Amino acid sequence: MALLRVTAALLLVCAARVGAQGARASEAQVKAVFLFNFAQFVDWPPEAVPDSQAPLVIGILGDDPFGDFLDATVRGEHRGARPFAVRRFQRVEDITRCDILFIGRPLADRPEEILARLKNRPILTVSDADQFAERGGMIHFVTDRSRIRLQINPEPADAAHLTISSKLLRVAEVITPSGR
Amino acid sequence: MALRDWPIKQKMTAILVLISGLVLLLTSAAFAGYQYWYLRQATRDALSVRGRIIAANSTASLAFSNVADARELLSALRADRHIVAAVLYDKGGNVFAAYPAGVAGDVVPALPGPDGYRFEGGRLIGFQPVEEAGSQRLGTLYLASDLEAIYDTFRLSGVIGLAVMAVALLAAYLVSRVLQGTISQPILALAETAQVVSTRQDYSVRAPKLGEDELGALTDAFNQMLGRIEDQNRALRASQDELQRYANELEQRVEARTHELQERHEALRRNAAELLAANSELDAFAYSVSHDLRAPLRSIDGFSQVLLEDYATKLDESGQDSLRRVRAASQRMGILIDDLLKLARVTRAEMRTEPVDLSDMARDIVNEIQRTAPERQVACAIAPGLTAEGDARLLRVVLDNLLRNSWKYTAKQPEPRVEFGSVEANGGRAFMVRDNGAGFDMKYADKLFGVFQRLHSAADFEGTGVGLATVRRIINRHGGRIWAEGAVGQGATFYFTL
Repeated sequence: MALLRVTAALLLVCAARVGAQGARASEAQVKAVFLFNFAQFVDWPPEAVPDSQAPLVIGILGDDPFGDFLDATVRGEHRGARPFAVRRFQRVEDITRCDILFIGRPLADRPEEILARLKNRPILTVSDADQFAERGGMIHFVTDRSRIRLQINPEPADAAHLTISSKLLRVAEVITPSGR
Repeated sequence: MALRDWPIKQKMTAILVLISGLVLLLTSAAFAGYQYWYLRQATRDALSVRGRIIAANSTASLAFSNVADARELLSALRADRHIVAAVLYDKGGNVFAAYPAGVAGDVVPALPGPDGYRFEGGRLIGFQPVEEAGSQRLGTLYLASDLEAIYDTFRLSGVIGLAVMAVALLAAYLVSRVLQGTISQPILALAETAQVVSTRQDYSVRAPKLGEDELGALTDAFNQMLGRIEDQNRALRASQDELQRYANELEQRVEARTHELQERHEALRRNAAELLAANSELDAFAYSVSHDLRAPLRSIDGFSQVLLEDYATKLDESGQDSLRRVRAASQRMGILIDDLLKLARVTRAEMRTEPVDLSDMARDIVNEIQRTAPERQVACAIAPGLTAEGDARLLRVVLDNLLRNSWKYTAKQPEPRVEFGSVEANGGRAFMVRDNGAGFDMKYADKLFGVFQRLHSAADFEGTGVGLATVRRIINRHGGRIWAEGAVGQGATFYFTL
């Protein structure tokens, strides 16, 4: 069902004649799908997986730009035997178990603080905040003429013992602030 | 020319080459079939491997909508010139990226088909799901390859196969030409020998034996047969020669015998002629003598009568008695001369053959005798209906003589009996005249029919001794036979055939 719904949504994206509202909706939708897809190209360290059937949690910190899209996207999906779950957090202190974290506004405007608090925890941090990757985030959604590109900073991911697939790296722009 | 009329050499070569060709053809066909199947399999496997690799590499492109990356991935297919088209569809079935750039139309399906690789429309096509292991599907990869790779390999195999087949057939032909000799040579040798035997009739030739197989056995049997025929021919010729020798000998013997017989026949003929001449001379002599004796006899009798009648008074009793004796003797001599003339006439007379009723004739004769001697009582038994072919006048002489004889010789019998009949004798019919008169001694039986042969004195029974001789002559002239049986005092039986 989820797949069908996503398919329908994507068909809507390709319909091209969409207004500003529609464009925003579709952008959020694409990002939601990307967020979901990250789970397939990233491997978490074993200690981050409590058991083989524990849900893979996608957390949203701060404002939620996806509405129902994310819930619709992950509903009924699995990574291996693990189902997906969407959690919404208002404060960074609230974050308990989380595998992928989208940092929304307004917190994303000051990511350093949040990232510092999450440092070395096996959480894939994602945001569309400006220069998120250069500023220590792991994946940055870059909107480029209605297309969404990815910027990835592998250093914090490595530090958090996350393994990002080379395939993912290939389709993304790799940012290395330390110049390594 | 029909196959069965081919020379055996060509036939065997043809059969061997045909079999080789058939085997090669079947092998090639099987191999080609296998190769075709294998090539399709292999090509499909190769394409599916390629598809899986590209699909695995393109997951991120699809997942994160990176068309450039997808195009770059697909463009790697340039290395394979058989790839006609490659298309990535996103999750929704829309064309996401395509190779070669701008490819479209009939080569690219508008929507992805069912997953899998298959041959369709002269191409090998495949729809490969694009997904990250254990996760949701991201899209579909479509690959289309032409079949030139298969055809190229197949063509090459065909050329090689044809070349191999040609060489193999040539080799089979050459080998069969050599090997067929092992079978055809003995057969041809046999045929040639048989030809020689039948055209030249020469059974001394032998077929050469070229091996110990069945054909060798056949050759042996054939040669043995020829040997037997030769032996039999020799034996046949020998027996023919012998037969010819016998035939020649027989011919010579027959010739000699024929010659001998001719000589004997000639001698007999001469004898018969001489006898005939002598006989007729004798008859003529007897006739003339008898005839010429009559005149003087009649003078003697006549003048004796004149003396007795005219000069009886001048003669005493004794003279008269002498004269009477002279007369009796001369009269007896006259009868004798008559009989002799009759005998001679029988021999000279012409014969006329006709049916004669002998019973009638016998009855007639008996009546006549009875008339001349009415004082005698003789019992006569004459079988009725006896007939024969012959001269009536002469047969009457026969019956007259025989019946008169019987009459005469039964004169001293108290109950005289005379029979005329017929009996069966020697498978034929014999007539018979039987009496119970004086009879005769059987040891004189052969003398009965001689002229002047008499078994009784004239004092007992008068007679001239010419009658039975006359009878025999007549019977002989009729080609018959006469014989007699009897015993002294027991009567006599005369048999004759005609």
